[in-house]
Amino acid sequence: MTVTSERDTLRRGASPLSEISRTRKSRRARRTLLLLVAPSLVLLLLINAYPLVYAALQSVRDGTLINAGEYVGLENYRATLTSPAFWRAVEFTLIFTVVGVFGSWLGGLGLALLLRTRIPGRTVFKTLLLLPWVVPVVVSSTAWNWLVATPQSPLPSLAEALGFGTPLFLADPTLAKITVCVFKVWISVPFMMMLIGAALAGVDHTVYEAAGVDGATKWQQFRHITLPMISRSTYISWILMTIFCVNDFPTIFLLTGGGPVDATTSLVVLSYRTVFQNFQVGPGVAIAFLMTVSLVVVSVALYRQIRKAHV
Amino acid sequence: MNTIDPSVPGRFSRRGFLGLGAAVGGGMLLSACGGGSASGGGSLKFWDMPWGQSNYTAAAKKLTEGYRPAGDLPRATYQGIQWANFSQTFSSAIASKTGPAVSTGGGFQAFQFAEQGAIAYADGVINQFRQDGTADDFLPGQLDAMKTANGYAAVPWQLDFRVWWYRKSLLDAAGVKVPATWDELLTACRTLSGRGLFGFGTGAGAGNNLGSQGLHLMMLNNGGGLFDPDGKVDVVTEANLEAMRFVQELVRAKAVDPASISYTTDNLITQWKNKKVAMGIHTAGLDTDTGETDGDLRVMGPLTGPGGAKAGLVFQNNIMMYANTPSQEGSEAFLSYYIRNMKTFWQQNVVAGLPVLKSIVALPEFQAQQQKAKIIAEWAPVARTFAANSKSLFGGLASVDSSQPITQFAQTVLAGKDPRPALTTLQQALEAIVK
Repeated sequence: MTVTSERDTLRRGASPLSEISRTRKSRRARRTLLLLVAPSLVLLLLINAYPLVYAALQSVRDGTLINAGEYVGLENYRATLTSPAFWRAVEFTLIFTVVGVFGSWLGGLGLALLLRTRIPGRTVFKTLLLLPWVVPVVVSSTAWNWLVATPQSPLPSLAEALGFGTPLFLADPTLAKITVCVFKVWISVPFMMMLIGAALAGVDHTVYEAAGVDGATKWQQFRHITLPMISRSTYISWILMTIFCVNDFPTIFLLTGGGPVDATTSLVVLSYRTVFQNFQVGPGVAIAFLMTVSLVVVSVALYRQIRKAHV
Repeated sequence: MNTIDPSVPGRFSRRGFLGLGAAVGGGMLLSACGGGSASGGGSLKFWDMPWGQSNYTAAAKKLTEGYRPAGDLPRATYQGIQWANFSQTFSSAIASKTGPAVSTGGGFQAFQFAEQGAIAYADGVINQFRQDGTADDFLPGQLDAMKTANGYAAVPWQLDFRVWWYRKSLLDAAGVKVPATWDELLTACRTLSGRGLFGFGTGAGAGNNLGSQGLHLMMLNNGGGLFDPDGKVDVVTEANLEAMRFVQELVRAKAVDPASISYTTDNLITQWKNKKVAMGIHTAGLDTDTGETDGDLRVMGPLTGPGGAKAGLVFQNNIMMYANTPSQEGSEAFLSYYIRNMKTFWQQNVVAGLPVLKSIVALPEFQAQQQKAKIIAEWAPVARTFAANSKSLFGGLASVDSSQPITQFAQTVLAGKDPRPALTTLQQALEAIVK
């Protein structure tokens, strides 16, 4: 008999009085716990909720960075949602996020699978591969700028030597989008590699051996064992990377400043520029709010996938 | 097993523990919500931007700490503020009443904060300057530029010009004479582009406003500008259109590096250093920025536009006082002291800007800097403000300079696109942000 069933038996045999007493004790304990965490909860609410509420109020006002300004209702949201610049930023944010999430996931998965095999110098590789994630974005964006900015930079020079002309990696709108996305993937691959590497380490090797005995090919093992077994980590990594991409300011701002001609302006860059360069606080905060709501919706959808996923 | 003995008197009760928690939390909250003042332990807070290399900050700190106030007036403390996100730094400090009593800052910051009620007008200081003759030492028009309907928003202390530069060795090698008119400029650019050189060196990438400021200078040179005499946005004018069409002609003549719309300031300076740029619009500090003060990089004289006009673009950097101060009299005394003793920056050659006082211009240390002296001599008399053709500066300018619409405009025009729709878009965008 298990411990649980013993407890159930005892509980079934308990008198109504002792049951009431237990319930009271339990309620008291819960109340005590609640009171104990209350100060922390209040502080957390104040720290998190106050700026949020304040920002919500700013988004319906025509204020400055110093003064609250006049109440304008939903005018800032109307102006934002009818602005072509906003929808261009939405488009680029989607591109940047989709490429950032899935590009880094594919890269991270590939490297994690590669590093699971016994290759010489694996630890050195792992350390080197972590560098893009570890190095501050200010430093890596400067390095990338040096690589691509001028026609005399190494990559345009190489492209010219190979007969591809002189690509304007940051000055051509399409190439600038591609460059920023590739930069994001390059930065994020190590993070994905670590997350997926940890998940892969948890997969029992005997499962593969059993599948091998059953005649499963390497692809079938990957498709039907590896991917399902790491699905929970995959969804978590997607949620995190989606948040990282949507909220990513320095990667874009340091490399292109959102240009050329707004081609790489994401929502967070647009929000920043609206508030701190155009000094339009209400519309800028409205953009940030719309962005937050979208992010919450996407995160909840992905979180639901986690709950459905394998252990 | 519970290891706490209930008989021990020092034991916390549940209520006592929660009460203590509430007291600590409440105390923290009260201290967080408490207001501040611009005094730092009974002294004035002076916030200053990095107006030169690291030796500037040391010199400015020394000048501030050398201030000995009369009587009971407060002393001053020095705080360096970085340019990165400086608007947020000042705004959040002012909103939380922890800002400075006196500061330098963005060229239009004083006007912006004055409109929001955060500035103490400098009329007292200016009146004092008029009485003791200091006002006569300012270069013509500089004090008046600080005037608003409610008073003087600040006191100017240095000038930041956008001027034409050229590299003498490249022009000599190409047999090009230094242009004096737009026509000569176009001819020179065509000759230079034939040698793979750029005659309109510029940049409009991340954090680089030289592209938009260069275009603005061309508009001013043609009698145009961003505003009408009443300060209303007035971008789509024939003068501006003609100026931008001329820039389009320069783009077609390959005088503009196609990659320059994404150039940061560092990228642009690298191109000057690499001798890819033969001419271009830059700040007064191009020679020091490139580390070439041997005379190969030289300032041109102001170009004569098609209408016969000459113009430069100048930003009057200023020192402002804030309404939140431990002593207004103290703020004024410190500001007067600072203006009267700031010549040390030019004597030590640690500041990038150009002096606003004639007495500093006359210093042998300043005159020894030939390019800067030339700018004061030739460009200052024809220089116009960012607010042109408005008669006075105003707070809305802070949201125009380096704003998203003006950067986008510069990138569009420098990419060789049709300037009319670009000007129309700029007009609409600026109307939305300038109030």
